[in-house]
Amino acid sequence: MYDDGKLTTIFLFLPPALVLFTIFVIWPILNATNFSFYKWSGYGELTNFVGMQNFQRLANHSIFHQSIWNSVKLVLVSLLIQIPLALTMALLIYKKTSVNTAFRLIFFAPYILAEVATGLIWSFIFDGDYGVTAQITQALGIDPIYILADKNYAFLTIITVIIWKYFGYHMMIFIAALQAVPHDLLEAAEIDGASPWRIVWYVKIPLIAHAIKLSAFFAIVGALQVFDIIIPLTNGGPSNSTHSIVSYLYYFGLVQLNVGYGSAVGVVLFLLCIVTAFSYKRFAIDKGGEL
Amino acid sequence: MAALEYINIKKCFGPVTVLPDISLTIPHGSFTVFVGPSGCGKSTLLRLTAGLEDVTAGVLKIDGEDVTDKQASARGIAMVFQSYALYPHMTLADNIGFALKMAGLPKAEIRRKVESAAEVLQLTPLLARKPGELSGGQRQRVAIGRAIVREPKVFLFDEPLSNLDAALRTQMRVELAQLHKRLGATMIYVTHDQVEAMTLADRIVVLNKGVIEQTGTPMELYTRPQTLFVAGFIGSPKMNLFSGKVAAAAGAHTFGVRPEHIDVSENGGEWRGEVRFVERLGSDTFLHVEVPEIGLIIVRMDGTSTYSGGSTIGLTPRAGFTHRFNEQGAAI
Repeated sequence: MYDDGKLTTIFLFLPPALVLFTIFVIWPILNATNFSFYKWSGYGELTNFVGMQNFQRLANHSIFHQSIWNSVKLVLVSLLIQIPLALTMALLIYKKTSVNTAFRLIFFAPYILAEVATGLIWSFIFDGDYGVTAQITQALGIDPIYILADKNYAFLTIITVIIWKYFGYHMMIFIAALQAVPHDLLEAAEIDGASPWRIVWYVKIPLIAHAIKLSAFFAIVGALQVFDIIIPLTNGGPSNSTHSIVSYLYYFGLVQLNVGYGSAVGVVLFLLCIVTAFSYKRFAIDKGGEL
Repeated sequence: MAALEYINIKKCFGPVTVLPDISLTIPHGSFTVFVGPSGCGKSTLLRLTAGLEDVTAGVLKIDGEDVTDKQASARGIAMVFQSYALYPHMTLADNIGFALKMAGLPKAEIRRKVESAAEVLQLTPLLARKPGELSGGQRQRVAIGRAIVREPKVFLFDEPLSNLDAALRTQMRVELAQLHKRLGATMIYVTHDQVEAMTLADRIVVLNKGVIEQTGTPMELYTRPQTLFVAGFIGSPKMNLFSGKVAAAAGAHTFGVRPEHIDVSENGGEWRGEVRFVERLGSDTFLHVEVPEIGLIIVRMDGTSTYSGGSTIGLTPRAGFTHRFNEQGAAI
């Protein structure tokens, strides 16, 4: 049984959080789930019940398949390129020196930029007519290059920008963790005859495993939610080849006024996130101890 | 051949000189303790020996070989850290065997050596555990085990007992002494605790402000301190040291006598004073006596002593057990 003090605490502090969570999380989820069974533009009454039609349509929509594949690619790139890159940089510059501090600032700066601003800056850089790319091609005297309009390179460019923008964030998490590794352990390993590389492998990385798992979790969830870099860079093009799940939802749900269809995409994305988060917790975190 | 030779070793950190000029020889198989107050440079000297710091000038030889520029792992030393420095993600067996794994020894040999070290240190049932599941004393043993398996030429201990409680510290002190006897290896031990130094060492090196004050056996330092610093540092309670008239009368700048080398009498005595405070430790009783022309003198008495505060007693320093120092603090 709870004593009076605890009960009072619960009655005082639980309702605000519960109300806010219900209004801004639970209620929209339930609403979106409801909308997903209707053909609805977002205006007027919900009258046109279509059952599972929205889900069937997206299951057969090749652009949706492409956007899922793109999101999967983003997750893979985040885990296989972004995190290792962030870890490598963190290992190189985690020690407290003035040069390292300068590098940390430089690498972290892109993360501070707003996503939309990032997208606009890079779209200018890649602009084949008026941007930096145009100046380079003119200087070299070659034909203009339109990277963002090229199906083969557009998504690769998005991936590059995403890595550029977010690896500094993961690097900072790793730097904080590396700085907390007791110095004695590294000296003990040195005396034990471990080379610098082996000290990294056998001591540093295991000791910051919790930070790596946390970072990987953020990277996965972040990759599934990529949206506001794609819109200013390619707006999903060329030929809808660079949509992520969220930009697909935005374009085919909101821009085209198919809120019912967009809600169905939202439900799928939500389930995907839930399954990913819980699987990650189950397989990566619970097995390897505390996060 | 000496196990270790420090030849004009100098160590500076930026503009600060921590060790100006150390020359020292440590014999094979000895248990040498570097002792001194915080900041005296004893840990720095140990870290220079380990190769964890570079010497600014001078030569360091281990077994006759110049190792000044050699890496820590190539010096044939093993070190036990104050914090134990056990790898928290590895089992005890992996902790103890890590150096052997790094050296590329076959797995079977590593296992054999680890098991043998664990047996010596009574850690066999704990080999599959991780350091977090052990008590302080057990962790300390693991740290020692990690040093033993490497079969080093020199063991280095950096205040290894300072994180243990008093009872465990006494027990580990005995275990370390026994270990030294069994292995017969050269051991260097750093501590600020002069009791540890006295009980463990067969040679003590007293350091003060980066300079070696005196080197010798514990009893040499105790009975014949060569400097005022050593006289005050070695021994508990401290040696009574006075300057002024009493010292001048003895032909010295500073005059010293240990608490146990003062005879007490009801009447007479060279000095007379009032007992201000009595500390009873059971085995010993310490009298804090205020002598008007000298100041406070501490006298060690038998535990059965019945003197109480307020009584006036006579004190006489025992002939042949007094110490005299000149203005520079050197023994006369």
